[in-house]
Amino acid sequence: MSVILSIAKTTLGEAIRRKVLLVILLIGVLFLAIAPALEALSPRQELTVLRALTLGIIQLTSAVIAVVLTVYMIPNEIERRTIYTILSKPVRRWQFLIGKYLGAVSALGLMMALMTGIMLLVFVVLRKIEGPAELMMIAKVPFAFFIQMSLLAAVSVFFSTFASPIVNFFLSGGVYLVGTLFDSFFKVLSENSTLNPLVKFMATVIHVIVPNFQSFNVQNSAINPGQQIQAEGLMYLGLSGYAVTYIAILLILGIIVFEYREV
Amino acid sequence: MRKKSPKLYGMLAGLAILQGVIHQGIVYPNWKENYAPLSGGDMQGLSADQLLFAFAGFRELIAGILWVRADSFFDEGNFDAILPIVRLVTKLDPHQIDVFATGMWHIAYNFTDEGSRSDRRYVPSAVALGAEGAKANPETYELFYETGWLYYHKIEDDYPEAVKWFREAMKRKDVITARKNILNNVYQRNGQVEEAAEYMYGNLEAAKLKQKSNLEFSARQNRDTIENNFDNHLVRMAQRGFFAQKGGYYDQFEYDTKPPFDVGFSARVTAIDAKRIKVEGTWNVLPVGTRVRIVLRDANYPSATPGGMVWNQGAAVNLDPPKELTFMQDQLFVKNQRFSRVIDLSRDPNMYPFTTDKYVVEFFYSPRQAPAYIQDKFGWNGEGMTDKNFLNTDIRPGQRVVYTKMELTKDQILRRGEWSTRVPVVQTSNFAGFGSKQLDGDVIKVPGILSSP
Repeated sequence: MSVILSIAKTTLGEAIRRKVLLVILLIGVLFLAIAPALEALSPRQELTVLRALTLGIIQLTSAVIAVVLTVYMIPNEIERRTIYTILSKPVRRWQFLIGKYLGAVSALGLMMALMTGIMLLVFVVLRKIEGPAELMMIAKVPFAFFIQMSLLAAVSVFFSTFASPIVNFFLSGGVYLVGTLFDSFFKVLSENSTLNPLVKFMATVIHVIVPNFQSFNVQNSAINPGQQIQAEGLMYLGLSGYAVTYIAILLILGIIVFEYREV
Repeated sequence: MRKKSPKLYGMLAGLAILQGVIHQGIVYPNWKENYAPLSGGDMQGLSADQLLFAFAGFRELIAGILWVRADSFFDEGNFDAILPIVRLVTKLDPHQIDVFATGMWHIAYNFTDEGSRSDRRYVPSAVALGAEGAKANPETYELFYETGWLYYHKIEDDYPEAVKWFREAMKRKDVITARKNILNNVYQRNGQVEEAAEYMYGNLEAAKLKQKSNLEFSARQNRDTIENNFDNHLVRMAQRGFFAQKGGYYDQFEYDTKPPFDVGFSARVTAIDAKRIKVEGTWNVLPVGTRVRIVLRDANYPSATPGGMVWNQGAAVNLDPPKELTFMQDQLFVKNQRFSRVIDLSRDPNMYPFTTDKYVVEFFYSPRQAPAYIQDKFGWNGEGMTDKNFLNTDIRPGQRVVYTKMELTKDQILRRGEWSTRVPVVQTSNFAGFGSKQLDGDVIKVPGILSSP
């Protein structure tokens, strides 16, 4: 375990020092800071638009950070040959991969926490939030995004065991898109009564297999407060369970591929 | 590890099943129930990048950006451009209540001709948008209220629908106290006089209770307002003979609504120029406040009803109204017992295309829309009103209304063919003009001004 934690700690330190990530983070933070200026332009919807924009900025920036952070993870180690130094020590490949992933997720979590903190600070300073209950309602949305982006990072880590960074970037982005928009297609397909049952079955299989990123988009209730949300705790528990299970699958698959890879 | 590990593959299979169970059993149903957009809907109108963002999970972000964009169109007066944005935003994020509310208002009120008359062909779409928004946001009173308001204020007809929507609004916990009072007016307009009294009584009791626990001035003010309205209503019920009608002794005593007053309606329509008509007529009621509805429409307008149309035309929000059809509705303001007005439809060919051959001009008056001081004479249902020529008790069940219609042809309205040199005039058989004495009534003589040196 200490091996995994050591690798995670090193990865976290590397990630924080990477300029490209800091630039992306800075852009996100700047957008968060100027978002309140847009409220003057939105008729009767100031708060809704402000919340939609700030949460959207956090989600979008986090997605970019999650992918950029992880696509270079394994290929860079191989290219710089640092992996030989690490693997020559009593470090198993699976420990290396899990350590790398945990380090990346920690860095992601830190950056997301910073953005969330700035967003909440903006809301508090501008008095856009009434009481701690409303603060909590908004704050838990980035938590769902964090779980979502951890899953995206796992997808990217899996691809990084065999694909080059550029290919990985598009593969991970593609999985994210399919995982988000397949739900809409699935709905259309499942409601089409004239469709071949085999096609419907295949659609259901894909719907079950491909990670469903859409399910993590729970921001609507925070953007438009007042909705009656049933079993919210169970939803967050389910999301966490679903993400952890899926991350485990992806990491195991990554470990299998990485074990077979010649480095 | 390089050896195949059956345990690892077994674990993978187990996890794959587990994730499917968690997602399909807990997450997905919960998400669909609480967080999913209203419907996938068609996203036509979004640019490629917006579409990508919307589908990639940033629906609310795109909705927010679009709504910011809509504001600039409001400022520019580019109302046509706002409509698709409203539709897109409501599809992307069906919980943006203010977008629904603003969209309904915009559709129903803002498409106007040069004379500030709304394009009534859009109103069913506004109603459908309100119904869609209410369905998507059943936890709040707002869109139920807004839809009811459309029937009450814009349509001013079909009051059972208004009652239905306002009652739904009042069931919601978040309804604002000040807005609760509207339902008693709607009940009255729907002829439900007793329900209005019962509703006011219930509100009064609630306001009394609230006043005990809330010493703020607003609580007392609210209670006083309801009490005053309730008192007035009870007095009106007595004076207008409501209790007597219910008790079966209406014939035995004198009430304000007796005997029915003959309004002496007459009207004449003159096509003074192409697409310009002059409407004039008589209404023998001296107090100011009467507005007679006039409708000029295609004779075969598909959803037309006498003096209006079927406003609830289903759930589809159609932002492309029947542009080949004409439907003009306006109010004729009565002053000095007559009305006279030129209606110019020539400047708005899109609203009034006049594509078919036959048209009707309808005149409609119901005491339900009258101010209270006129209702004091006419009653809630027109029991104190009559017209020896045009009283109608069929077109609005339970009401005594004044209604008549006249026919015009396309050639007459456009002043072409044989009507290019002749002036088309259609009128009720009793129209006899105003006479010079009545015209004098327009001049308000202030002593001293005309005689000053």
